[in-house]
Amino acid sequence: MRVRLPGLYIVLGLVLAGLIHIVAVLMLPSLAPRNAHARLAALGPANTMIELPAASPGRQVMPMMAPDVRYAVCRFDLANGPVRLRAAVPDELWLIALYTPEGENFYSVVGADMKRPQIDLIITAANQTVEEAGVDAPEWSDDVIVVNAPVNAGIALIRAPLVGPSRASFAERALRATSCGPYVRPSPVVPSPPSETTETPEAPL
Amino acid sequence: MDPDRLTALPTDSQLMFASSGAVPWREEDATHSMRSLAYFIGTFVVALMLGIGSAWYMIERGSPLTTTKVGPWNGWVTEGNPQADPYTKAHVARSGRLPLTSTVARYFTASTDSAGRSLVSSCEYSIEGGPLNARWWSLAVYDTYGGLIDNPSARYSFNSEEMLRHADGSYRVNLSRQARPENWLPSGAADQRLVLMLRVYSPRETDAAGIGLVPAERLPKIERKSCE
Repeated sequence: MRVRLPGLYIVLGLVLAGLIHIVAVLMLPSLAPRNAHARLAALGPANTMIELPAASPGRQVMPMMAPDVRYAVCRFDLANGPVRLRAAVPDELWLIALYTPEGENFYSVVGADMKRPQIDLIITAANQTVEEAGVDAPEWSDDVIVVNAPVNAGIALIRAPLVGPSRASFAERALRATSCGPYVRPSPVVPSPPSETTETPEAPL
Repeated sequence: MDPDRLTALPTDSQLMFASSGAVPWREEDATHSMRSLAYFIGTFVVALMLGIGSAWYMIERGSPLTTTKVGPWNGWVTEGNPQADPYTKAHVARSGRLPLTSTVARYFTASTDSAGRSLVSSCEYSIEGGPLNARWWSLAVYDTYGGLIDNPSARYSFNSEEMLRHADGSYRVNLSRQARPENWLPSGAADQRLVLMLRVYSPRETDAAGIGLVPAERLPKIERKSCE
């Protein structure tokens, strides 16, 4: 009986180590207290475009931010309806990316791939729609990109890579002109959903 | 445990050899359970260390499953991708970064020179690379926490638009504490380890999964010139 004991403990130890390894890897994304979403949540309310300060020593919202990229961020919360993001994209380098709170980049569009310089993006949750009843496609739908998000809250991040140091103020001005806010149905037939939700994004449905 | 075992012990040489540490007395039951408990706790502690340690290593440093390693450069293949493996997801969450998915951008980090020695601010390095087939790229230097390094010329990176290049599109960046000609990337007054990050936005070559490809020979070589 004793003969097998050390072997048994080794097997038990390895199985336990494997289980602990798997649990640790799977649990970590939801436990990481300093993930990007937590850092950005400290900056301001949801459903508002916030321009991040240019990365410089000791003044970085996230680690390893590019010093030659200007960023604007909108933490979207779809609890009160879809969120609309609008931007005039000045050059082909701009990148608009949507993330889950865990940092999964589920949607991205590059300036060079956009048909027109004005981007109009509506983020909806799985159970939300921006389509109008009885119409195949509303008149405005050609200009609008509707992204069905896999999450009810997340992050929209606009990157403006600089083509030179002299372009920083230009990029900052362009980022300041972007907007993010609750989407209000344009059709007058359908009464619009509750307005003034910008200040209380955490309000229950 | 077993009264027969006492008599069996002297004759069964194999068993005697294996259980040489056993105490064949009547108090054996108590001793045995104490020992079992100690063994069990020991096993659990070792398992905890092994499990957490291996998880930490594979999340922090990566493994052949999740990263491509080219010389000193390390890139997470499915970084930012919603279909990424759990290690990559954990790595991203822990890093506090928001990387673009690897079909849009590739990120490569280096914390050693091409010879495998840690990058430190007290040494001077020559970083030589070839042109990259991408819409925009940038080479930046950070401390080990991912913070930019304070320097009087406020120079933290060189990107594809501002890098001074040779006629063939290749370039050399001088990473050093003291000012250098060409592309000088200051490594700061503080004595510390350094991390280089090369970010490549919209690589024009991709694999079948759409993941951007950066040819290995185009990634810069990092050569240590001298140390203080």
